[in-house]
Amino acid sequence: MTANIVLSAENVTLRYGKFVALGDISVAFRSGELTSIIGPNGAGKSSFFNVISGARSPTEGKIVFEGKDITGLPQHKFVHAGISKSFQITNIFPQLSTHENVRIAAQATVAGKNFWSRRASLVATDETARSLLDEVGLGDAGHRIAAELAHGQQRALEIAMALACSPRLLLMDEPTAGMSPEETKHMVRLIERLAASRTVVLVEHKMKMVLGISKRVIVLHHGQLLADGTPGDVRNDPEVKRVYLGQGAH
Amino acid sequence: MADISFGLIALQVLTGLALGCIFVLVATGLTLIFGMLNVVNFAHGAFYAAGAYIGVFAFGYTGNFWISLVVVPVVMAVLGMFTERYLLRPLYGRDMSYPLLLTFGLGYVVIELIRILFGTDGIPFSAPAALKGSMFLGDFSFPRYRLFVMGFTAVMLVGLWLFIEKTPFGLIVRAGARDAEIVKVLGIDTSKVWLLIFALGTAIAGIAGFLAAPMRGVIPEMGVTVLIEAFVITVIGGMGSLPGAIIAGLLMGVVVSITSYFAADFSSIVMFAIMAVILIVRPQGLLGRPEAAR
Amino acid sequence: MPEAVQIANSRSGSATLAVAHSIEKHRVAAVVMVLAILPVVLPYPALAINILIFGLFATGFNLLFGYTGLLSLGHAALFGAGAYGCGIAIAKLGLDLFSAVLCGVALALLVSAVIGALAIRTRGVYFGMVTLALAQCLYFIFYQWVSVTGGESGLRGVSVKRIDLGPLHVDLLNPMQKYYFFLLFVAVALAGISRILRSPFGAVIEGIRENENRARASGYSLDVMKWMSFVLSGAFCGLAGALNAIHLGIVSIETLFYTTSGTVVMMTLLGGMGTFFGPFVGAALFLALEDIASNWTTHWQLVAGLIFIACVRFFPKGVWGSVLARTVG
Repeated sequence: MTANIVLSAENVTLRYGKFVALGDISVAFRSGELTSIIGPNGAGKSSFFNVISGARSPTEGKIVFEGKDITGLPQHKFVHAGISKSFQITNIFPQLSTHENVRIAAQATVAGKNFWSRRASLVATDETARSLLDEVGLGDAGHRIAAELAHGQQRALEIAMALACSPRLLLMDEPTAGMSPEETKHMVRLIERLAASRTVVLVEHKMKMVLGISKRVIVLHHGQLLADGTPGDVRNDPEVKRVYLGQGAH
Repeated sequence: MADISFGLIALQVLTGLALGCIFVLVATGLTLIFGMLNVVNFAHGAFYAAGAYIGVFAFGYTGNFWISLVVVPVVMAVLGMFTERYLLRPLYGRDMSYPLLLTFGLGYVVIELIRILFGTDGIPFSAPAALKGSMFLGDFSFPRYRLFVMGFTAVMLVGLWLFIEKTPFGLIVRAGARDAEIVKVLGIDTSKVWLLIFALGTAIAGIAGFLAAPMRGVIPEMGVTVLIEAFVITVIGGMGSLPGAIIAGLLMGVVVSITSYFAADFSSIVMFAIMAVILIVRPQGLLGRPEAAR
Repeated sequence: MPEAVQIANSRSGSATLAVAHSIEKHRVAAVVMVLAILPVVLPYPALAINILIFGLFATGFNLLFGYTGLLSLGHAALFGAGAYGCGIAIAKLGLDLFSAVLCGVALALLVSAVIGALAIRTRGVYFGMVTLALAQCLYFIFYQWVSVTGGESGLRGVSVKRIDLGPLHVDLLNPMQKYYFFLLFVAVALAGISRILRSPFGAVIEGIRENENRARASGYSLDVMKWMSFVLSGAFCGLAGALNAIHLGIVSIETLFYTTSGTVVMMTLLGGMGTFFGPFVGAALFLALEDIASNWTTHWQLVAGLIFIACVRFFPKGVWGSVLARTVG
């Protein structure tokens, strides 16, 4: 069964001076598949996300997205190509309104350099912003200042902004970080909805959640690929068990 | 051009190295404060000028160069501590622009105070008798004072290095530079560390000013010129890199010195030209880390 | 915080809200109206003209500093480029006023394009350092290029005595007429700035100020956006410089010195960065204070520095910014 490969990381290595954050990792993400990346702290999950989202260029290796080699391109070109990332630590425009936050994100792939027309004339981006806010459950919070939203709402805003460029590949870095069980349930449902119409890759720590919703799980350890398979495969993998022994999978 | 002797070039290089030492001292003080406190001290140049004036004043009072050389860092350290404790500390936690802007205003105040106290015209100051004249090494003669400046700078840098690398306090400084939170959690009083670092950086600036007095003159505006020079050197040497600042400082001193001899018209802008080139081909500077610049 | 959002979240009465909203919508007209009565209210027109010129300078600077969040400490280069460009066009090339102003703006655009391109390759505080250094470099170049710029003694002969606009004659030796003539330029400039701020680009630069990483992650090329902001800022600052050259009849080398860069920073902070009217308020306050202080002491720099320190410590929003926050925010 050969599903479409949407993004493949080929022999990716990332070095900071002498420190090897990622060592020769090769992974191919299949279109429409919800994949989770797990691993102990320092395993390289964030580094891997940085590389496939364009925030960092790999020291060696290639990133190929929908057949095109995009290695080394600046981050904004990754976004225009269709890859978007939501951050682990909420990264929004604090003093602007919630609606404006999403609208600016939506504007990026449409009209950034235009310094002459009126913003208001960009009706389409306004609409996109509104519908995205509805989708993540912030429909009636549009006018509020982003810094004043509750934590869970800010995480939702984060997601809405990541969706604003209509990405075909959505990377989510610990979307449920700092959330209560109730908020986490909401987020999980949102993620499943989003995964229905695009390829979603998660980095998460909450094992039960991860094993529950993912079609595929990748385990990183010390910058290397440790395991790659279905949740069942990974759960029973002896190497994975050894690494996580004492960590108390929950 | 056929008359350019090796001795002449050597003299220019030496003069340049001495000038470079002044640059290095100023840039070191600046980098120390920035590295530890994340504050760009725009009053640094004004402190350099203040050091020169205090030294000259002390010399006028005591008639002794060496005593003055001790008085300068002591007074400057006090000034530095006052600045950190009462002017800057309330601003920590806010955006980085605030300390920058405050020290910017402080620079104006200090330079104007200098004008009020000492006049706007500048004071002539020459090297003490013991360091006047030239020394002869083989066939070549080198000005004694410049050799002294180089030697003194070397001693200071070694002392600084020993302090930071080998003493327990230096360990705290290094740890704090990397992670201020951890140092606090370990129960170490970071406020004392900040106070000391700022005092140290300011004292170094003051000494640099006094040392430079016989070489570059003493006028109130000397602070502005040297601050810009320090910035250029920081950019060339590498953002946040002390060794980079040292290399860039010495290099620029020599370049400026040689240019002022062979192409005087360009001597004031050659540093900027080099900075522009660095920004184009290697924006993080010679020894800077790439992430620091991008 | 952008004024529009402040108004949306106001807690004050609906009458104040309605007035504030309406002023915000027609902010250019509001500011021009205030500026129109300025020379009548002030003791002498020279002060009013300076407020006009430096208010425009600060407004242009504010585009980069208050709205985009980039602190340039070398904006004297842009002001000075505008002044020298215009001055040289009149004094050495004999061009008419309008062409000369265009020359000034063009030179300022060129200088800001170059300085901007180099400065954006730095991060954070280094931006300020590099802009300061490059502006000083320009100062040295113009200082030494005596044949073109007059060097230390300045550029003389930038005199335009009258302008004929069809049937209208503007006597530029008459301060009031000069003021209102300049006001035309400033009004057009303000309309331009307001339009830029309301454009999609205007939204992006505020995003950059709020959170660079987020702006980049959303798909904006930060380098291009910052550069554009720098260049646009340069155009308006250059215009202010050109007007200053015509106003004074000479261009002094001090125009390019770092103190001019410091002055515009102080004015903007004093008035209120990131607000539309703040820079003019700051310029007015600064110039008025300088005027008063100069009667008592020659050490205005000391007073200015102290005021600036107090501002940074206690009124980071600036005078106008604090007023807005209190009445509307």
